[in-house]
Amino acid sequence: MIVPVGVIIGLSAVLFGIGVFGFLARRNIILMLISIEIMLNAVNLSLIGFSRHLADPRGQVLALFVIAVAAAEAAVGLGLVIALNRNRPGTGVAELTELKW
Amino acid sequence: MTLQPATAAFYYMAVASVASALLAVTRRNPVHGMLWVLALFLHVAGIFLLLGAEFLAAVQVIVYAGAILIFYLIVVMLLDLPGEEARARFGKHWPFAAAIGISFTALAWLALTETFEPAGDEAVSAVARASSEYEGSVADVGMALFGPFALPFEIASLVLLAAIVGAVVVARKRTTEP
Repeated sequence: MIVPVGVIIGLSAVLFGIGVFGFLARRNIILMLISIEIMLNAVNLSLIGFSRHLADPRGQVLALFVIAVAAAEAAVGLGLVIALNRNRPGTGVAELTELKW
Repeated sequence: MTLQPATAAFYYMAVASVASALLAVTRRNPVHGMLWVLALFLHVAGIFLLLGAEFLAAVQVIVYAGAILIFYLIVVMLLDLPGEEARARFGKHWPFAAAIGISFTALAWLALTETFEPAGDEAVSAVARASSEYEGSVADVGMALFGPFALPFEIASLVLLAAIVGAVVVARKRTTEP
């Protein structure tokens, strides 16, 4: 193996942390969704690392399912963004206060 | 110990993917952020290739970089966000978000050093031997996908169908008031 598996899992943890930061800190709904994609990609990386470490192709199959769910999430999430934008132009989440009272 | 070319390529892609992820979540212009995410996805695809997951690398480029990211870019350009450049980049609470992200990463690193450091154990060295001999192949993935994972595979197609219909229903313009 070209690198120890710990390095791959550590890289995955760093990317996931960046995704968590982006999701919590950004106030633009599209960039929050793209931060979720960064987190899913980090999880895929750790699945591939474990698949290689344990010499088992099932990790790659699970990563494929994660990619399928990410595609579904992108479609529904961006549909929601378009619907929200039709009611109120802009993508800031701080202005979405209709459900507050 | 001399640095193998594959190892050097891995470390380049690791550093480049962390840098492009950081740039992606900090750029003010959403289109610039998307382009950095594209760089991240391509570098992660390179890491997949180095780890012997050729099929996943191709799927990463075709589905993530080719379909999902282009979809995001189309939505950003469709919405035409003039006020985005003037808005504050982060919410007021961004130090808390940074603390949560850093503490997650630190916890994962701690768990990692606990799990993978003790080498020399018989089972650990057996796993290391197996993984050094293992060359992932597309045929293995295909056999797993259509053997034990056939039912989850079909369910994934159902999830995608539901997502297509749901996206159309949610984003469609209401022509008649209910």
